[in-house]
Amino acid sequence: MKIVYNWLKEFVDVTAAPQELASRLALSGTNIGSVENGPHGAVIDAEVGSNRPDCLSHLGIAREVAAIYRQPLVFTPPHPAESAAAKASDAVRVSIESPELCGRYTARVIRNVKVQPPPKWLKDRLEASGVASISNIVDITNFVMLELGNPMHAFDLDRVRDHRIVIRRAKPGEKMQTLDGVERVMDPGMPLVCDGDGSRSIGSGVMGGAATEISFATKNVLLECAWFDPVSIRRAARLLKLHTEASTRFGRGADPEMAEVASRRAAELILQLAGGELLSGVVDVYPGRRAPRKIRVTRAEILRVMGADIPDREIERILSALGFAPVRVDENRGAEGSLLAAWECTQPSWRADVEREIDLVEEIARVHGLDKFPARLPAARQGAQRLPHYEAEARLRERLIGLGYREINTIPHVSEERDALFRPEGVTPARIANPLSEEANVLRSTGAVTMAATLEWNLNHSQRNLRLFEIARHYRLNVAANGGDAQPVETRVLTLGATGEAREKGLYDSARDFSFADLKGDLDSVGALAGGLRWDHGGPDWLNTGKRGRIRLGEGEIGAAGQLARRVAEKLKLRQDVFLAELALGPLYCMYYGVKNARRYQPIPRFPAVERDFSLLLAEGTAFDDVRKTIQSVGITELVSIEAADLFRGKNIPAGKYSLLVRVTFQSRETTLTDSQIADYSAQIVAALEKNLVAQLRTG
Amino acid sequence: MSGLETTAKTLADQSVTQPIAVAPLFADVRARFDSAAADVHDEAAWKQLRDAWLGRRSGVLTQITDNWLKPAAPELKRAVGAALNDLRAHVEAQIEARRVAIESGAEQATLARDRVDLSLPGVIRPVGSHHLLCQIFEEIEDIFVSIGFSVVEGPEIETPYYNFEALNIPEHHPVRDDMDTFYIEVPPASAGKPPGQLLLRTHTSPMQIRTMEKQKPPVRVIVPGKVYRRDNPDATHSFAFHQVEGLAVDSDITFCDFTGTIEYFVKQFFGANVKTRFRPSYFPFTEPSVEFDVSCIFCGGSGCGASGGVCSKCKGAGWIELFGAGMVDPAVYGFVGYDPKKVSGFAFGMGIDRLAMLKYGIEDLQVFFQNDIRFLRQFP
Repeated sequence: MKIVYNWLKEFVDVTAAPQELASRLALSGTNIGSVENGPHGAVIDAEVGSNRPDCLSHLGIAREVAAIYRQPLVFTPPHPAESAAAKASDAVRVSIESPELCGRYTARVIRNVKVQPPPKWLKDRLEASGVASISNIVDITNFVMLELGNPMHAFDLDRVRDHRIVIRRAKPGEKMQTLDGVERVMDPGMPLVCDGDGSRSIGSGVMGGAATEISFATKNVLLECAWFDPVSIRRAARLLKLHTEASTRFGRGADPEMAEVASRRAAELILQLAGGELLSGVVDVYPGRRAPRKIRVTRAEILRVMGADIPDREIERILSALGFAPVRVDENRGAEGSLLAAWECTQPSWRADVEREIDLVEEIARVHGLDKFPARLPAARQGAQRLPHYEAEARLRERLIGLGYREINTIPHVSEERDALFRPEGVTPARIANPLSEEANVLRSTGAVTMAATLEWNLNHSQRNLRLFEIARHYRLNVAANGGDAQPVETRVLTLGATGEAREKGLYDSARDFSFADLKGDLDSVGALAGGLRWDHGGPDWLNTGKRGRIRLGEGEIGAAGQLARRVAEKLKLRQDVFLAELALGPLYCMYYGVKNARRYQPIPRFPAVERDFSLLLAEGTAFDDVRKTIQSVGITELVSIEAADLFRGKNIPAGKYSLLVRVTFQSRETTLTDSQIADYSAQIVAALEKNLVAQLRTG
Repeated sequence: MSGLETTAKTLADQSVTQPIAVAPLFADVRARFDSAAADVHDEAAWKQLRDAWLGRRSGVLTQITDNWLKPAAPELKRAVGAALNDLRAHVEAQIEARRVAIESGAEQATLARDRVDLSLPGVIRPVGSHHLLCQIFEEIEDIFVSIGFSVVEGPEIETPYYNFEALNIPEHHPVRDDMDTFYIEVPPASAGKPPGQLLLRTHTSPMQIRTMEKQKPPVRVIVPGKVYRRDNPDATHSFAFHQVEGLAVDSDITFCDFTGTIEYFVKQFFGANVKTRFRPSYFPFTEPSVEFDVSCIFCGGSGCGASGGVCSKCKGAGWIELFGAGMVDPAVYGFVGYDPKKVSGFAFGMGIDRLAMLKYGIEDLQVFFQNDIRFLRQFP
């Protein structure tokens, strides 16, 4: 809403400069977009909220200004001279068939007007307001709308069939050619203004029809000022994709009482600028008339909500200035500042948004000034809690960052095609019903899909050595087998992505590529927080069959890790090896707390540990785990650890075999182990390995 | 060297009988020592010097003791003893001084070869980093936890009831037009029954309702999380972004508590010098509603740019709009079974991405979600 400063001054004697006025308006609730000085003086662009249709007029803004600056609002409803001979009600008939869509319809008739270009002052006002000038009659309707807030329409009376107006609901598929020359399909939710027997539509609350348009040949004018239901007008504007000054005002709620006054104002201007004769009276069908609502506001409520007092006079001044006509109604009337003070107010017709006591409290507070309420901190009443998994997640993050991973944050919207690459069999993704694009039409059903995209982004920007993690949700729909509603499931997951060099070449070290072992080691470091992960063969098919594993924690499977399968890497055009892992965090956090709470101190051993290395030749396919289990099966109580110390294939190793150096550590809590004890244990271990795994001990 | 010719003989052999003749003898010895010491420049020569003069068996000082002092006539003993003590002190001090000088010289040489070059880097083990938004979330959570707010989370896929209706935004409310919403395709349920609607929450406010449904006042919570609006992405819009919701409801919460809490937060976050103001605004679920502004962080509220002209961040206004907030609308309490006559409260919802952009001078919202490591590296 463009407010023309000089126009505003016709309603309130404001002396503040436009910039200062704009800033005071902003601080009392009228959001200001800009203040500009143009050829017609200052124009303040007010971004009026959807709850304040009363501020979509100069009169409405003037009322705000009057309240802020304690100035009187100057507005006297006009009384244009009417013809003694002819009555409007004889010239036009109006019937409202859908009172739920049209709460009021006023019609005035002016005969023998001269349609011509408007005078300069009128043209200037419209130009300053950003409205195109058409003719004196049409410009007057727009002028009055900007002045008083009520959209109006002027029909060429002689083109209105039977001089009869019928307001009814549109029929399905009904068409109307609007003033802009476009034929539009109406919807049964919309009100239509029709003529004659009601079969032809000539107007709506959004835009008038072409059939009865004012032309320079028009002699007799039918002046409409109506009130349409806001919801149906908003809906109509949205369906027609036609947002007009009229649909904005009707759509937010015009002032039904002002409709008749606005009609008089327009008639007055028509007589001045186009001549003619105004028929006496008005045809006013007003099925939506309501008795003004009474609203009570008390000092107790002001104090309870706002926390600081406002003097009686100030409360009464503000309410009066805004049109609420406050009357003290409590027992202590006359006692200034009484805690029991109560005022009964009358809701003005232009403030449909104010219905409750709290609405009045807001009105008083915003005009009084929000800066007048002293800031203080509320008392804390209970201990503040972090999220239940806060500590576990903080430890997890800290560990990942220590391991060299950088945290990322991705938007979960991905393309269906991408998501399907990583989506497990049988999972229903959460698809967007109204996506912005096909590239973003489903919410990620795995963490891996956006991690892969992030690696891709960085590789495409020549960033080749990456270690990334994300802690966020994936989204799936749980479709109930019994026909119940689908339930969304949001699962917190950790996703890791790595590619390039695990160690870059530097002054002191040579370069080394990131490998599956790096990923596994990093995940095991993370898993150590929750008591350790277990690894099984297998995993999703987007991972390389030979370099992947399922990850288990406790009894359950919580994820998988491995190298991205070539098939997928090629689809994503990733030209270097990429490693991905995804873990469900719920079970990890749960185990974190379980392990932490069960953790107890182990006394540091007083007797020395002894290490023995076993260099074994094993058949390919024998896992380290087989070796470990075999050694454990010997049942040596002093055995404290079994480690793989070296792994070798190739020269001097027979085909089908590989060499594994196993380091076993013995330690007693009671005594220092003797050489003969160790020799005995070693012999038992070698015997077991030979027997169970056909392992050969390598010598030399 | 095994002594000097003079020290090999007794004083009597040299016809020294008067105390007055002792001093020239000692002066001669001292001069000889000084000239020998001056020629010593390395460790081997120094050891020779030390042994020749201080050696216990045949060092010069031992010879003087044996040949001059011990056999001296009683009338000379006193003078010889005193002179010998002086000489010994001088020789010992000089020999020590020579040692220090030689050693430091050797050190210089080895230093030049073995000293670390401090301008070379050490071994840098790669360390990761928090995402900037995660850092901002943590900072905000810390501030609010410190004044008694608990942290809660909620679902991002919501129902229209929690996202709109229970927040006093009925079906045809104009605010729904402003919050362009993503809907989830819901597969048809059992025959004849229309599927329930699901949407992506347009704000974190649904958690106001879920929190109040679950607990009685006093309520003090903040809700960090992702939210979604169907906006075409550009430098200041993204269809996913982040908010922190706040809600405090109690028997005695007023507008003053609200402004106090918000001001406390913003001064902790942006610094004590930042100025604040509250402008009346409109949201269906708060009343009174406000927009909260802070003095422009870039121009300090002056509205002037660093190189003259108008500050590009606040467009010369001196103020930057931070977020919307207000006192909880009594209608909302009706949806959660609170008595609007007995409780009051405030709520706010701040955009985290915007706060981060303001705090760090980031111009393009998209960098948060591209996750280019050249961006990630800047915020360790």
